[in-house]
Amino acid sequence: MTSPTTTTRRRARTGARPPRRPLGTIGLAIGLAAVALFAGIRILTPEDRGDALSDAVQDFVTLSASVVIESLPFVFLGIVLSIAVQLWLPPDFLMRRLPANGFLRRAVISLLGILLPVCECGNVPLARGLLQRGLTVGESMTFLLAAPILNPVTIITTYQAFGWQDGILVWRIVGGFVIANLVGWVFSRHPDPTSLLTPAFQAACAREHADASATPRRGARMFVEETSAMLPALFVGSAIAGFIQVAVSRDILITLGQNPVLSVFALMLLAFVVALCSNVDAFFVLAFGSTFMPGAIVAFLVFGPMVDVKMLALMRTTFTTRTLVQLTAIVALASAALGLAVNLAA
Amino acid sequence: MLHSLVSRWKGVALTLVSVVAVLWLAATGQLGLYINPDHAGFAVTMTVVGGILALASLALAPVRDDHDHDHDHDHDHGGADATGAATPRRRVAATASAIVVVAGATVALLVLPPATLTARTAIDRDVEVTAAELAVDARSLAGADPSTFDLSDWALIANQFDDPAEFAGIELELAGFVSPVPGDPDDSFYITRFKITHCAIDAQPVGVPVHLPGWRDRFAVDDWVVGTGGLVADPADQDGLALLPGTVAATEEPEQPYVY
Repeated sequence: MTSPTTTTRRRARTGARPPRRPLGTIGLAIGLAAVALFAGIRILTPEDRGDALSDAVQDFVTLSASVVIESLPFVFLGIVLSIAVQLWLPPDFLMRRLPANGFLRRAVISLLGILLPVCECGNVPLARGLLQRGLTVGESMTFLLAAPILNPVTIITTYQAFGWQDGILVWRIVGGFVIANLVGWVFSRHPDPTSLLTPAFQAACAREHADASATPRRGARMFVEETSAMLPALFVGSAIAGFIQVAVSRDILITLGQNPVLSVFALMLLAFVVALCSNVDAFFVLAFGSTFMPGAIVAFLVFGPMVDVKMLALMRTTFTTRTLVQLTAIVALASAALGLAVNLAA
Repeated sequence: MLHSLVSRWKGVALTLVSVVAVLWLAATGQLGLYINPDHAGFAVTMTVVGGILALASLALAPVRDDHDHDHDHDHDHGGADATGAATPRRRVAATASAIVVVAGATVALLVLPPATLTARTAIDRDVEVTAAELAVDARSLAGADPSTFDLSDWALIANQFDDPAEFAGIELELAGFVSPVPGDPDDSFYITRFKITHCAIDAQPVGVPVHLPGWRDRFAVDDWVVGTGGLVADPADQDGLALLPGTVAATEEPEQPYVY
């Protein structure tokens, strides 16, 4: 068997890429065999759990699995939309329709979440698709940060939970919009935006531009690449979220909640560790409604959808660590400032 | 060889593991242990779509991922691979961690049996906090038909109402798991369930306190019980109501352990 490296070298020398043959029926057979194997494992393992695992480990597994099972359909939806955008959206479609002025463009982009009903985990693959379709790095961040807050489901659930009480809903919407645009503006001023992206994602973009295969085959390759990038991140992020839930006592955070300043930071920390979806976090924080001050709740509702452990794991597939540290710092400072201001006014 | 296989197909492998796990949970009626059944339709639909796409990708996608080898020759997008072409050590680490993730996912989703959250999480999340905060809903329960109330409704009533006369003559039958009442751990316990809004991570424990001195001799924390009786002023607490049990008996964990 010729080593792949030698083949590639030879190919490079001749300058022509041989057609990359798909696996075809063999691939399908391997897939079905894998499904049968997994189903066999599931059916053959004993149903009763016994006492092999301590309660803490048991709850860690249950919580982590529930985040995966809840998020996965949205990640699939995001990947499907991302592939559709890349395959069928003409490259200049967005460019022609969005305003030329940077500020206006980002303002419009931050409203895309209203049209694309994906929750924040699904937004990451979609943002990757939009990046490949001509969105700049800063604009993709604006989309990623704004869409979970500025979308109908989130707005409705927040209204159901809080109504107009203390302006929580209004500050959530305004804060989400302003912070997302602020981050987009800051990163749009970066001299070399490509360096904000991970090498793996840059390579994926490069491959995409070089690929002239037929549409179904390109779609299949994108699915393979997107799931390889997204799913490990989702599983690791969910495991971290589940672990923190079990390891960090809620008491500590709730004790901090009474102080106008500390409560803001306590709830932001809570938002970071619980890693909820933006369309449910309002009900969750309602449970702390009278313990925490309104500014803290606003900070929770603005910071949580933008940055949390699961989102960072997902975004790390696309942005470098350094970029994410800066992004987190800006979002955290702005959310804290907003929360403290609301508390002062209250 | 192993490196390129793993780095290329880990996403499809994780997809198939999750698809089998979710569809099996749905087929055996256990998806509700993880997510609110209201979302089951969407979850199952997208899971089926994901599974079909994964199988189609296996059939259609090119066999090999050539970007691992792209650094051998010059191409337009040079810089991209400069750091992406990892050193052998990093490749080993990446392969190993991907295998750990796939194995961990298989164990968590396919080997371990599905489970409900335990009383440990109920204690950490504090039944009192939930009950006090969802209080707005309790007021609207006054005057409604008590036969339609579930454990979550009674939990709010027990926390929010002080006068047992409003509920005189109503015989409750409540099923849930046992978790101790923090202020009165030896004489009272909660009949507890988790209320799930979206998925188990937002589970909030709701519970009706039961006054039963010496309950620890009969039940362990986390046991499922059915209690019947009427509401009385909570003997342990100045405000609130508690169930004065006629009978408390052990029971099996129901198919649907959560309230939604």
